[in-house]
Amino acid sequence: MFRTTFKNLRARKRRLLTTALAVTIGVAFMAGTLVIADTISRTFDDLFADATEGIDAAVRGSQSIDVDFGPEARNPVPETLVAQIAELDGAAAVEGQVSGYAQFLDKDDEPVGNPGTGAPTLGFNWNEVPELNPFELTDGGPPSGAGEVVIDRGTARDGGFAVGDTIAVLTQAGRGDFTVTGIVTFGGQDRPAGATTALFETTTAQDLVGEPGTFQEIAVVAGEGVSEEDLVTQIQAIAPAGVEVLTGEQYTEDSQNQVQEGLSFFNTFLLVFAGIALFVGSFIIYNTFNILVAQRTGELGLLRALGASRRQVFGSVILEATIVGVIAGVIGLVLGIGLASLLKLAMAGLGIELPGGAPVVTVRTAITALATGMVITVLAALVPARRAGAVPPLVALRQRSVEDRALPRRRTIAGGVVTAIGLASLGYGLWGEPGNAIQFVGLGALVTFIGVALLAPVLASPFVKGVGGLIAKLRGTPAALAEKNALRNPRRTSATASALMIGVGLVGFITIFAASTKASIDKTIDDAFTGDLVVASGTFGFGGLPPEVADEIAALPEIDLVSGMRFGPARVDGEDTGVVAVNTDQMARLADIGISEGSADDFGVSSFGIHEDVAEEKGWELGTPVTIEFVDTGAQTFTVDVIYSENALAGPWFIDTAAFEANYAQQFDAQIYASLTEGASLAKARESVEEIVDPYPAAEVQDQEEYTEATAGQIDQLLGLVYLLLVFAVIIAVIGISNTLALSIYERTHELGLLRAVGMTRQQMRSSIRWESVMIALFGTILGLTVGLVFGWAVVSALADEGFSVFQAPVSQLVVIALLAALAGVIASLRPARRAAKLDMLEAIMTE
Amino acid sequence: MTAATTAPTSIAAQAVHATKVYGSGDTAVRALDDLSAEFGTGQYSAIMGPSGSGKSTLMHCMAGLDTLTDGQVFIGGTDLSELSEKELTQLRREKVGFVFQAFNLVPTLDAQENITLPMDLGGSAYDDGWVDTVIDTVGLRDRLEHRPAELSGGQQQRVAVARAMASRPEIIFADEPTGNLDSKTGHEILDFMRSAVDDFGQTIVMVTHDPMAASYSDRVVFLADGRIVDEMLEPTAERVLDKMKQLGE
Ligand SMILES: Nc1ncnc2c1ncn2[C@@H]1O[C@H](COP(=O)(O)OP(=O)(O)OP(=O)(O)O)[C@@H](O)[C@H]1O
Ligand SMILES: [Mg+2]
Repeated sequence: MFRTTFKNLRARKRRLLTTALAVTIGVAFMAGTLVIADTISRTFDDLFADATEGIDAAVRGSQSIDVDFGPEARNPVPETLVAQIAELDGAAAVEGQVSGYAQFLDKDDEPVGNPGTGAPTLGFNWNEVPELNPFELTDGGPPSGAGEVVIDRGTARDGGFAVGDTIAVLTQAGRGDFTVTGIVTFGGQDRPAGATTALFETTTAQDLVGEPGTFQEIAVVAGEGVSEEDLVTQIQAIAPAGVEVLTGEQYTEDSQNQVQEGLSFFNTFLLVFAGIALFVGSFIIYNTFNILVAQRTGELGLLRALGASRRQVFGSVILEATIVGVIAGVIGLVLGIGLASLLKLAMAGLGIELPGGAPVVTVRTAITALATGMVITVLAALVPARRAGAVPPLVALRQRSVEDRALPRRRTIAGGVVTAIGLASLGYGLWGEPGNAIQFVGLGALVTFIGVALLAPVLASPFVKGVGGLIAKLRGTPAALAEKNALRNPRRTSATASALMIGVGLVGFITIFAASTKASIDKTIDDAFTGDLVVASGTFGFGGLPPEVADEIAALPEIDLVSGMRFGPARVDGEDTGVVAVNTDQMARLADIGISEGSADDFGVSSFGIHEDVAEEKGWELGTPVTIEFVDTGAQTFTVDVIYSENALAGPWFIDTAAFEANYAQQFDAQIYASLTEGASLAKARESVEEIVDPYPAAEVQDQEEYTEATAGQIDQLLGLVYLLLVFAVIIAVIGISNTLALSIYERTHELGLLRAVGMTRQQMRSSIRWESVMIALFGTILGLTVGLVFGWAVVSALADEGFSVFQAPVSQLVVIALLAALAGVIASLRPARRAAKLDMLEAIMTE
Repeated sequence: MTAATTAPTSIAAQAVHATKVYGSGDTAVRALDDLSAEFGTGQYSAIMGPSGSGKSTLMHCMAGLDTLTDGQVFIGGTDLSELSEKELTQLRREKVGFVFQAFNLVPTLDAQENITLPMDLGGSAYDDGWVDTVIDTVGLRDRLEHRPAELSGGQQQRVAVARAMASRPEIIFADEPTGNLDSKTGHEILDFMRSAVDDFGQTIVMVTHDPMAASYSDRVVFLADGRIVDEMLEPTAERVLDKMKQLGE
């Protein structure tokens, strides 16, 4: 029995590979994700281990707030502690550490390594203690005065800076010109992880990137014969409250963990796409095995007639699937390693340079890749294998038939029921007003998806008859034959189309969701922002414009109201999150945030504004005290003084700028909003504002329209990435169509020969197969778009309360998707069509 | 056209020093060996010979389904060896009809569509009156919307013959058209082909192993080892049978 399996496999090497390919892409994705994750964390682990090698004890603030974006925030430690530690017996050397935002400008005044694109731009103090300094000087010397800086070799290279040159740096103190005294690398890297590095003399660093009188951390080197633990104990004895002490080992581990955490989102994201790719791939495996079994019905019947048991036949198909799965796993793993290198290159292109080093392929990655490939393939082949086992011996004696027009009623009913359940859940979520609408809608959407996939064979015939018939009328006999062939086996047609349906459904859904999000943002900002000008800092949550910029703008005669907007990490009511701060009295007039309770007029240092949803969820009302913890000032009590209904600008809650200044060491405006004095010219005001922000090249002055566009435009960036990854799902779908067509053509060899004999040209043959492919592709696409449209609408409707006020289906984009899918059909048909056209006519006719 | 002609009128198809070699070296097979033959317009010819004698090969090469290794084939004065692949296809569509032993029809198309398939592929308008005549002659009027799977073997062969005739080709080649049928159904097909020749002046060349079938023709050509070894005009079943014995089949 097994021998026949292997013979089969060997005889169909090509097909085996194409079948495996469908799973391979998913496996490759997954393996690639794991490899790059391991590679990155290994290199960072090594890097941190190197960089922190000299540290035997680290002192830092004990208050931490861990927000989703950026590194965790901590309270600073007093500078005076350095001198105290230095006097301890166990300490050989000690030095305070400063780090913060510093943005280089190149010679054209353009920002180097803009944090908006991902990589941070950092400033540190130069460590005099060699054990504590992780940087290696490759040129020049350390910074010694206020006007000096040491820069990373990446910046030196890209910006053409050499020792002795002047370089402009933006910090919280504004723009300053510095003399480059040295050029450094970090762990041998010019610019590790893409971060640019500015190193200042310590006092200067405190002024520019830290806070005078404090350090973020203090690093200590133990004396001869003193253990890390002893050193920590000694320091703990003199440490003030609000400070924690770690051994060097703990500190290294902690740094490494933070990197892992930062990567986890990225990894999850990629793994989700691996999942989608595998899901789509499993459809194709299922389909391929079904066809293979159908084609071998006669042979399987013969085996059964000769005494093979049901189990043996079942087992032989499963064995075949296992082998395909293993091949897919192995190729996927190899491709995944390549993909990881590619991803690394792509990130380098985005400015996120990863440290070198060979890709790390762990045993876990290898096992996961192989197991996934195998399990998915075997699972997908289960039903076809059962069908193979169920072939009665008598079939061998009968003429097998290619046509399989009958659709099982059971499946139709099941499909109908599942779809109905899905739609019911969707409807309940939308109109039943449950508390958690989106969950019902999401679940309903998923269930509907499966229902539609089950119903697809029923829909395939009318669709092909309709659309295919139309094409046939317009394009003549080859297209008419294509229509009839697509109709031959609606189950096969729909299973083939399903893979594309999922891909297109997701693309359609995301397109609609994104368009609606943008339209909603447009509308809310239009509704909410009544000011005239916005200055966007061009940095996202990291650094920004120093407060003086807003002050200078406020001083302009053309400008009436001004409010900056600042972001900071905070623990609100026990939850690690962030707060927004605005000049409340001005902002309340610059924007219509829909204050429903309280008043912005007497909004003070301990006032808290919350959105009405938050009020409802937390049960807070005017006057409720809320505890907010800050890393710099600890727990503070605020009072709910304003409840508002529009969250487009302010988010879920806000505090006043005065409160922000009281509780944060660093002050940056991420955004500045302004309105004109009555009668002032917008153009003129804009000119004056532009002049003020001129020293901040990353910043951009926008009028209302531009601001709306820029805000909504951020969606596009995300969208691009999602599209790129979904392309893989579509590629798999195309492989599936191509595979199915190739198999169908193999079945129809005799018929194709006959067609050629009675006068079909090669050209017509190709075109017929192309049309068949296009019809299948269109079916999948239309189905996918319909499902995507319904989901998009349902999800947007369910989120109406969250600010999704507008549903928008971008017709032109959806049409483009449909056309691209048709094109995918054409591409999928290329190889099968070429093969069909090249068939040896006589040989084909002689094939039974 | 140097060979002496026995045809009463013009020549519909002609093979001149036709040679077909399969394979090469030691394993080379000479399926046709310097064979020359003519098939007159309006004539019903039968080709007979032992298995492997090259009958099918001759038909394929003459119908433009295959090419010769050496020599020429003419269909109504056209030298097939000078045609491009595309022109050959067009020739098969317009000038030649072909009937195979079985599985002649496209399973997805109904009888009517199968009959008009070559003309539909050509995309040109066709003579509805003639197609109607053909359909009525083969007696398929009430089966036109049936698919091949819904037709008996005999009916399928009738559709195949109707298709071959529908485009009014210069010549029809039929390779054992009754080989898969019982004798009664076979005779129906043979009768029908005979009337196509008599009533419409159709030229037909048919391969058969059956002396009875051969007796329907005007002339029998005997093949052995890729050559013509004998010829018989106005054959009867007995004379053919005798000849076959004589040739040692
Ligand atoms: N494609 C091919 N490759 C190699 N040899 C071939 C091929 N087709 C036919 N032959 C050989 O050519 C010779 C003639 O074959 P052909 O099919 O013409 O015989 P036939 O007279 O039609 O026989 P039958 O009565 O069995 O149909 C045979 O020896 C056959 O083996
Ligand atoms: Mg033959």
